Amino acid sequence: MVETHTHVRTPAVQWRQYRRYLVSYGLLPCLLVMLFLLLGFYDERFWRVTNLINVMRNASYLMIISAGQMIVLIVGGFDLSVGGVAALTSVTMALAMVQLRNLIPDALTTVVVLGVLVGLITGFAIGFLNGFVVAILRVNPFMVTIGSMSVAYGVALYATAGVPVYGMPEVFSRNFANLQLFGLPVIVYLTIVILFAVWVAMGSTKLGRYIYAVGSNLHAASLSGVPTTVCIIVAYVASSLLASVTGVLLTARVGSGEANLAQTLMLESIAAAIIGGVSLRGGVGHVGSVALGALLLALVTNGLDIMHINSLFQPIVIGVVLVAAAGLDRIAPTVR
Amino acid sequence: MNALLHTLDSISRNGMRHSVAQLGINYGFLPVILVLTYLAFGVLEPRFLTANNALNILKQSSYLIIFAAAQLFPLLTRGYDLSVGMVISMISVASAMIMMAVLHATNDVPLAIVAAACGGFGIGVLVGVINGACVAALGINPFIVTLGMQGVAFGLATTLSGGFPVYNLPDAYSKIFAYSNWLGLPASVATCLIILGIVHIILSRTVFGRSLYLIGASPRAVHVAGLPSHRYNALAYVACACLTSIGALLLTARTASGEPNAGGDFMLKSIAAAVIGGVSLRGGEGRVIHCVFGGLFITVLSIGMNFVRVDGYIQQIILGIVVIAAVYFDQFRRRTRL
Amino acid sequence: MYERRLDRSRAHTTFSMPLDNQTTPLLGRTKLSVVEPVFQMNGIVKHFPGVHALKGVDLEVFKGEVHVLFGENGAGKSTLINIIAGTFPPDEGKIVFDGEAQSSMTAHRARELGVSAVFQEFSLAPDLTIEENLLLGREATRFGLLRKAKMREQVRAMLAELDFDLSPNTRVGVLTRAEQQMTEIAKALLGKVKLLILDEPTSSLTERETEKLFAIIAQLKHHGVGIIYVSHRLGEIKRIGDRLTVLRDGAKIGTVAVAKVDEEQLVEMMTGRAAEVLFPRIEHRPQEEVLRVRDLSTASGAVRGVDLYLRAGEVVGLAGLVGCGKSELARALFGLEVLEGGRISLFGRDLQTPPTPASMLASGVCYFPSDRVAEGLALVRPLRENVSMAALKLSNFSWHGLLRLAAERIISQEKIQQLQVRPADAERPVELLSGGNRQKVMLSRGIIRDVKVFLFDEPTVGIDVGAKVEIYRILAKLQQQGAAILVASSELPELLHLSSRVYVMNRGKISAELQGDDIREDVILSNFFDREGTTFPRRANAH
Repeated sequence: MVETHTHVRTPAVQWRQYRRYLVSYGLLPCLLVMLFLLLGFYDERFWRVTNLINVMRNASYLMIISAGQMIVLIVGGFDLSVGGVAALTSVTMALAMVQLRNLIPDALTTVVVLGVLVGLITGFAIGFLNGFVVAILRVNPFMVTIGSMSVAYGVALYATAGVPVYGMPEVFSRNFANLQLFGLPVIVYLTIVILFAVWVAMGSTKLGRYIYAVGSNLHAASLSGVPTTVCIIVAYVASSLLASVTGVLLTARVGSGEANLAQTLMLESIAAAIIGGVSLRGGVGHVGSVALGALLLALVTNGLDIMHINSLFQPIVIGVVLVAAAGLDRIAPTVR
Repeated sequence: MNALLHTLDSISRNGMRHSVAQLGINYGFLPVILVLTYLAFGVLEPRFLTANNALNILKQSSYLIIFAAAQLFPLLTRGYDLSVGMVISMISVASAMIMMAVLHATNDVPLAIVAAACGGFGIGVLVGVINGACVAALGINPFIVTLGMQGVAFGLATTLSGGFPVYNLPDAYSKIFAYSNWLGLPASVATCLIILGIVHIILSRTVFGRSLYLIGASPRAVHVAGLPSHRYNALAYVACACLTSIGALLLTARTASGEPNAGGDFMLKSIAAAVIGGVSLRGGEGRVIHCVFGGLFITVLSIGMNFVRVDGYIQQIILGIVVIAAVYFDQFRRRTRL
Repeated sequence: MYERRLDRSRAHTTFSMPLDNQTTPLLGRTKLSVVEPVFQMNGIVKHFPGVHALKGVDLEVFKGEVHVLFGENGAGKSTLINIIAGTFPPDEGKIVFDGEAQSSMTAHRARELGVSAVFQEFSLAPDLTIEENLLLGREATRFGLLRKAKMREQVRAMLAELDFDLSPNTRVGVLTRAEQQMTEIAKALLGKVKLLILDEPTSSLTERETEKLFAIIAQLKHHGVGIIYVSHRLGEIKRIGDRLTVLRDGAKIGTVAVAKVDEEQLVEMMTGRAAEVLFPRIEHRPQEEVLRVRDLSTASGAVRGVDLYLRAGEVVGLAGLVGCGKSELARALFGLEVLEGGRISLFGRDLQTPPTPASMLASGVCYFPSDRVAEGLALVRPLRENVSMAALKLSNFSWHGLLRLAAERIISQEKIQQLQVRPADAERPVELLSGGNRQKVMLSRGIIRDVKVFLFDEPTVGIDVGAKVEIYRILAKLQQQGAAILVASSELPELLHLSSRVYVMNRGKISAELQGDDIREDVILSNFFDREGTTFPRRANAH
């Protein structure tokens, strides 16, 4: 019973209240605009439409997977398995499409739809298992998702023997991936729809509110009659499903089912969420800020490309940005 | 929770059962499971039980045990170090490159080896200091810090040498640090034993070690008791990175090359070994012997599966399941204290 | 007096709970003439590890009654109200609610039946707003979407009804403790309420807010709601209580009508012994000044410009509402709060640098936190390590960073014996000890090294009566040996009997320094609050 709350509303507390708005509505957009201008002045090619579309496309993948990561972080957990889920989705979907294509060579659209469904079901299953083990068996989420990451990559590698799976219908790997609408890749619209759905779900439904409540104070939530177990399972399922969607989109882009798909996705998704102001302690986070965080990472990555820096340097930069963002969050209150 | 304390309370009134319970608390059932697993693989494949293979198990597990002992330091303080695996890769590549550079410049093999060892160790210390400073001084969540460091180390490991292994290390290096016998033991096993001894002494007989347990049990209480909790917490990450770098140097000697993939799954495996062995993820509980049992178990499992020809990828799946199951049973054991 | 209040509240407050669509039991219910129980429990037994928390307790609450639960910390009050609220089940015993026997009480079932509880530890989610917290679990939706405007309207209406000055879209995490308390009370009053449990609700409220709460209680009574009211404050018990049940060491001592008992009887029922047996006789022999604080302020704003001194051989009390800054003051002196200004001098010398726990321990000052779980003890570690924790760096425990394990074992065993920690097994984890024995382990820090100044924050919170007596004895002994002792406490009897001087704090400032005959409950309480228009009805001879 420590008396942390006093009669006097302290400057530190006030600052903490404002800081969140500052970071989500002030700092991050400013940083984005600055980066945008700097990159443009550094190299004209940055402004080219093809490059900008490329940035948006790359940001899209990251935004979707980070939105899922955000939900798990809000409920007070982690999901280290998102990269593994994306890879496994890619593999199972590709394998399913190849098999189905042999069975029903005439109905390629059906093949694609069923294949995507198989991929999403894979994601759903892993998410459900994660949520079940965390919420009902009460195992540390860190260990659970690190374990399921290992399992997901293991299954993906075993199923493909580490070799990319080719032979998906071109409707999917070429037409869908390159489909454009009003000059923008269809993926961008899809991302907007998904982000909007997450925004509505988290901000304007009971379930979303419960997820915030569970992450903020599990005990209080359960005392208030919130079905905490359901909330936790739903959060992990959502995260895995969104990771799975990212896997589907990336597979369409790459054109083959890859067990090594985007190995840095886990790191990047957590980085985007943290940059977007999501708290590791749960209960705090907005999908808009997370999307901006993802956009920032995509810009940084693009900047590295423009500056002809080896793409292998990306994780270094992302790692530093991640720690810096978390550090800024810690230091800021004492600056005042 | 209350039920478990209650059970324990009633058990403790009973002397004989008390000691059995105490054994269970200290070591879990892992030693038993370890022996059973060993024998089970022996039944499936009699060659598994040969002395030669036993030595092989010891050799292979010595690396993992070193990394698990490294991981023990942050785990005791309720943290963990996710960067272990990639730091191994980075040090492997960096020390190999240093060795080659010095060799080219001076053609002096002993000097090259010493320089590489010092360089590798120095990088380890630097990594540890950065991790420790971010966790303890800036108060950033260890998960974020070491995840960021993992990204940095991964990037450096893959870019330093252009993503390729560094070959043609002097034979002497491998001979001394991987294939020689010290006091009748393979070099890695001997080093591992020395490290275990030192870690044991640090943890049980120094103010620093004691403080780590206390920090894990209650970080604020340590501060209130006037101990430099921040400094010790940071030092835990330094100790972790130092041990990691020693293990990485040994590993480099064994492969006779600087490998960007050397670390691979050691992050998962090092945490898994410690936790399976009985180190608590909630801090404050765990000893060196737990790392030994955990490391041996994982190694026996993987070598055994190789013997019975389980696919490497399947092994990865099994490892993931074993980790989750181990944490679950660990919690179960703590809940019932048996 | 009481009737007048009732009338006044009836005049301008009507309880129409705007949030329940069904008719609320509060509305339209005529005042009951027949006394019928809303709630009964018989032979309730509850064990916790190492503690027999409840030993067959009976309790009966009538409709429209304020039933006071009275007892010391650790007497079993909080266990009892947690069982009623369904937080955990009793081991044995029968619960009857509204004439129906309840086979299993869960939090969910309790809420269904109309049991609402306001605990001292709040059940609010700090990252949600007041509105979100109030409606958590009862959100209004249409087509699966939240009806935010409607809910905002409901909450506004609700807060206006209660006359609570809270803005619905403030995050609970930034509220003051008093505001959180109000939010918690508002939350408890949502929906149908048949039995309301209030656990020391006024401990952090100001006078004005307390008045509001009492008006609400009167209104609820009028509508036949049964109220279980846990309090230590005799003044308010006398004012609003109907009947009173005394608990001691997990057993029910008796139920009496509040009007028919006097305070001496209550204290004796509560403690099982006359005050002079409970509290040791302390002869205050103040000697030289050891600690002086001038104009001390903390960066958090909890302590603002405090002057205080402490002499060897005296016990000085620090009183005030929860959240008045008394805890923070003790913490600040030990370097656990960031200081913004002021001077601290120890043994006549000004501190040149801000204090840190290490430096204060080195100069003979030791702090004993109220939250022994979070700040005092390493629960999973053995007694031995906890006893030696604050002395590890001394030369008898370590040599150049290497521990002297044999010496540690001997010395800590000796201290454990000396303070009569039970069981005296140095290798047992501290988590298996009772509250009193945990505090003794903490106290060992004061005798394992040379400590001259003891700073206590709620020294007997969560400790049973027997252990309290022992702790008081130890304090008295330390004082006799010339220690300077500062006790920040919410237990007034403790301060009344132990201290030679009492500082009262209000809003971070010292509002009074009392000595000798001025150390009385009514005088201390009157200094808890700002001096505003209304006055707290003080009894003339409270002590």
